[in-house]
Amino acid sequence: MTLYEGAVRRPIMTTLVFIAIAIFGLFSLSKLPIDLMPDIDTNMIMVMETYPGASAEDIENNVTRPLENTLNSVNYLKHITSQSQENYAMITLEFEYGYDIDALTNDVRDKLDMVSSALPDGAGTPIIFKFSTDMIPILVLSAQAKESTPALYKILDDQVANPLARIAGVGSVSVSGAAERTIYIYCDPNKLEAYGLTINGIAGVISAENVNVPGGSFDTGNNAYTLRVEGEFDDPQEMLDLVVGHKGDQLVYLRDVAEVKDGLQERAQKVTTFFTNESDPRGYSGEQGAMIIVQKQSGANSVAISEKVLAMLPQIQKTLPSDVTLGVIVNTSENIYATIGSLEEIIVYAMLFVALVCFLFLGRWRAVVVIVLTIPLSLVASFIYLAVVGSSINMISLSCLSIAIGNVVDDAIVVLENVTNHIERGSEPKQAAIHGTNEVAISVIASTLTMIGVFFPLTMVSGMTGVLFKELGWMMCIIMIVSTTSALTFTPMMCSQMLRLKKRESWFSRWYDHFIVRGLLDKLDHWYAKRINWAVRHRKTMVAAIAVFFVVSMLPAVFGLIGTGFFPQQDSGRISVKLELPIGTRQARAEEIANELANTWMSRWGTPDKKVLKACNFTTGQADTDNTFASMQSNGTHIISFNIAMYKVAQRGMKISMYEVGNQMRQDLKKYPELAKIQVTEGGQRGMGGQTTADFEIYGYDLAYTDSLTNLMKTYMESLPGVSQINISRPDRQPEVQVDFDRKKLARYGLNTQTAGMYLRSAFNGTTASYFREDGEEYDIIVRYTPEVREDVKTIENIWMPSAAGAVRVRDVGQVVERETLPTIERKDRQRVNTMSCVVNADVSDLGSVVKAGQAYIEQLRNEGYLSGDTDIQVSGSYEDQQDSFKDLTVLGILILLIVFIVMAAQFESWSDPFIIMLVSIPFTFTGIVLALWITGIDLNIMSMLGGVMLIGIVVKNGIVLIDYIHLLRERGESVISAVVHAGRSRLRPVLMTTLTTLLGMLPMAIGTGQGSEMWQPMGVSIIGGLLVSTVMTLVVVPSIYCIVQGVKIKTERKLWANKLGVEAEWNKKRHKIKTLRKK
Amino acid sequence: MKGIFIAFDQAHRDEVVAGLASCMQHGYTMFPDTWGRGTNGGIPHYGSHAWPGQNSAIFAVCEDDRVERILERLRKIDKERPQLGLRAFVVPVEQAI
Repeated sequence: MTLYEGAVRRPIMTTLVFIAIAIFGLFSLSKLPIDLMPDIDTNMIMVMETYPGASAEDIENNVTRPLENTLNSVNYLKHITSQSQENYAMITLEFEYGYDIDALTNDVRDKLDMVSSALPDGAGTPIIFKFSTDMIPILVLSAQAKESTPALYKILDDQVANPLARIAGVGSVSVSGAAERTIYIYCDPNKLEAYGLTINGIAGVISAENVNVPGGSFDTGNNAYTLRVEGEFDDPQEMLDLVVGHKGDQLVYLRDVAEVKDGLQERAQKVTTFFTNESDPRGYSGEQGAMIIVQKQSGANSVAISEKVLAMLPQIQKTLPSDVTLGVIVNTSENIYATIGSLEEIIVYAMLFVALVCFLFLGRWRAVVVIVLTIPLSLVASFIYLAVVGSSINMISLSCLSIAIGNVVDDAIVVLENVTNHIERGSEPKQAAIHGTNEVAISVIASTLTMIGVFFPLTMVSGMTGVLFKELGWMMCIIMIVSTTSALTFTPMMCSQMLRLKKRESWFSRWYDHFIVRGLLDKLDHWYAKRINWAVRHRKTMVAAIAVFFVVSMLPAVFGLIGTGFFPQQDSGRISVKLELPIGTRQARAEEIANELANTWMSRWGTPDKKVLKACNFTTGQADTDNTFASMQSNGTHIISFNIAMYKVAQRGMKISMYEVGNQMRQDLKKYPELAKIQVTEGGQRGMGGQTTADFEIYGYDLAYTDSLTNLMKTYMESLPGVSQINISRPDRQPEVQVDFDRKKLARYGLNTQTAGMYLRSAFNGTTASYFREDGEEYDIIVRYTPEVREDVKTIENIWMPSAAGAVRVRDVGQVVERETLPTIERKDRQRVNTMSCVVNADVSDLGSVVKAGQAYIEQLRNEGYLSGDTDIQVSGSYEDQQDSFKDLTVLGILILLIVFIVMAAQFESWSDPFIIMLVSIPFTFTGIVLALWITGIDLNIMSMLGGVMLIGIVVKNGIVLIDYIHLLRERGESVISAVVHAGRSRLRPVLMTTLTTLLGMLPMAIGTGQGSEMWQPMGVSIIGGLLVSTVMTLVVVPSIYCIVQGVKIKTERKLWANKLGVEAEWNKKRHKIKTLRKK
Repeated sequence: MKGIFIAFDQAHRDEVVAGLASCMQHGYTMFPDTWGRGTNGGIPHYGSHAWPGQNSAIFAVCEDDRVERILERLRKIDKERPQLGLRAFVVPVEQAI
């Protein structure tokens, strides 16, 4: 008993098997987490090495270089980049995608052990970090307070950050913008000098007084007592009464030389958040407050975590003082939900369209039910795979479903059609189902094999594209296998149950027969047969015409009218802006500018009627060192960073995209000439789905020379209309005040550089004398000069340094000078590098053109002799990724072509037939893609390339159907031309039907405007364009070329036979005779 | 005793078997997959790519008086679906064990 016979004869078993698959699938679906992208394993390892006291250049020579030289030999290393800064070096190792990062980490650790002896004595132990994109915060919360402001940090840390950090999957929760309580002892330098005191001396007294000393225990009679001295301060003001020294026989109290300030940290980040507010007359309101940043652990699911955090917030809010309110600034999961939501909508529409096409061609609801049931069965099965490999419902897996919808019905349609034929000939449905399926089983399996031939290689792509397309490849293979199995078992079973031997005549079937079948489909068949008849009799004209069409259609590509890009830019509704004022600008000025900008933007886009910006939050000032998130980003009094959240695309009152908003912001920022650096990043992150940048790396040891080269290049790139912003990675030289001590003079006063340096440090930076303890919390007690004194450079010169050999002022033993230093030296692949990133303005230009212009300029510089020796400029960034991926996809395309050829050649047992199909369908697929991209103005990027690659498998199916039937008719004894015409006429409907299901299945993808549509639109457009042109060409041209090839074949065969039979001479004579007769 | 050789489109299989049974003809030998074509038109059944249809054949031996009933039944089946094809040939059986 064959598979299909079994299925038809045991309908209950067949139904239950598929119901079981559906149940498992739905169960898996309920378990699947939601995410934006498949889990991309991190491919970066960071090594941090400290060497206190060394300058950037010293670090580069003594720490970075030896580390780089050793780490360079780790396997699968793609790039090694480093940042040498004062006190430490940060080396980033970027590996090829797809290798086990834990194994690589062990390799790195081994190498570090090897190199440790070569490092300088004072250098610390290298620390390894596994860096990944997960470090991007998933939630940014705001906290605003009125009366509680002074205690805000403690409140947030204890009552918000701690409970949130306990949620499984949360990596870290950091609070910024709320200053910590600190107790300052502000000393007056003049008074200190008058009493002969020093900062360190005072700090010593405080630390000696603020102690509890246990004195042991003693026995009295029957009792035992412990002895203790409790000296710790209960109130900071107690310190004022401390005796810090003597002047003659008078006691000097702390209050004589200093004041005690119990307040907040002097320098802290300030955070202000603006929200859309309907009750405010301006439409928005802004308040200073704090910001809470939630990061996830690598590998955790961001949607699940942000859901848990958000669910916990109302509960937390209840425990907070009534004036503290929490709000959400950025919520990554919102974008993910919206994107997944719009994809789900696309899938529903695609199913609907496919059902409609089936109904149009079949005209019977029973047949449509049989076909359409295949869709959910096959799709649901793929969820089992996702659950087994631990993946998620994400953009790739859902797009895959939407691509599959049009294809899974194909096999079922072929089976159903043949079964219907059998029934129409008079078979009982049961018999028809078995024998009808039997007849087409081989060709159904062959066409599935071509599809698997396309999608299986996708699972073997390397690099970042590979990580993305692996899932797509596996899912499509599984869906195809399930759909074919279902077409060979479930569909015949359903046919045997649902279809009837005698059609019941109803008004609908009469109407359908009259209008659709006779009025439309029959006429179409007839019309097409006529065209084919003409085409096969004018073969040379046809070939010439399509050659011309091919050349003309490729012109947009030749003339560069199609832009190229890496990943489509997605409107995720997140913008971050980083502004740098000249170094040394006070925080107050930075705040003023930030406030102005925030007000401008909120009034333009943030009011309830505009509904574009939801929240706009900015941070100014220097971060505290224990804030993990802030300390990883650059910060300082001159830096302003904005975090902007927009409404979802569908909710926006003003139809404006994230990129348009970003461009307008850049225009606004240009009005501030004092901004030294402007960096607007749309999408929160660069690379996948975010901002596209053309990066140029300027290599060279001479810093001054590469700086000037960078400026030259920058001036040129700025003049290009396609570049909206340029970021340069090398920081500006930082002005520094340095004290050059004269060692001889120092020695004369019994000082040395270290002791003198410590005097400077305690005066300005201060000394942490002790900790004030209250309610189980510790607060720093810091002794330093009063703030007014510290604002003046003169103070440095006047610092009074007492020593055993007397006392001296700084100006007497040294010189205070102002110098500039480079805070960071960057290297890539063991060479000094400066990276220039040009943000591409997608409205005007594309990545490919910007890079091309840049390359032309680099060539010019090279010709003029600017790039010689170790100096060089190279292209990297998105372009490098794009080139890598395009290369991968091209190799993949060739591999797929070969596999598809193999499958077809095996099926037809012929070398020429698969060649005919591929010769027509493949080139015209590219024609279609080029034309579609040109008309819609979409870039050729990874997604559109992927569409093209997948088309290889889809377009040849039409050719297979056609050629297969031509063969059948030839075997039945028809002549070449008659077989071609009849086959065309008979196969037009199935070809149109399968093509239309795929086309209409892709249509919602191509025209969708929901959240994230930018991502899949290029794929939808290129599949529709390619499939459309290729199908039309296959229908028209394949018959002609088949006739040409068969003509040649028949002639050669005739000649061969003639030779064999030795009648060639005779044959030639005859031909000569005919010719002469004709002439006459 | 007569032998009846019945060649028919596979789709007829269940009905033919049921037809024999209804004529009290319980014994038969079936060749489930056979190929062939008719002399007077009809689609060839070659089980090939060009002619995918297949036949089955049954050889049944019965008493002389039952032959007519069986043929009558088979004729009825053939008439219902003339496109499928069903032919029966009656031959004498001389000896049996």
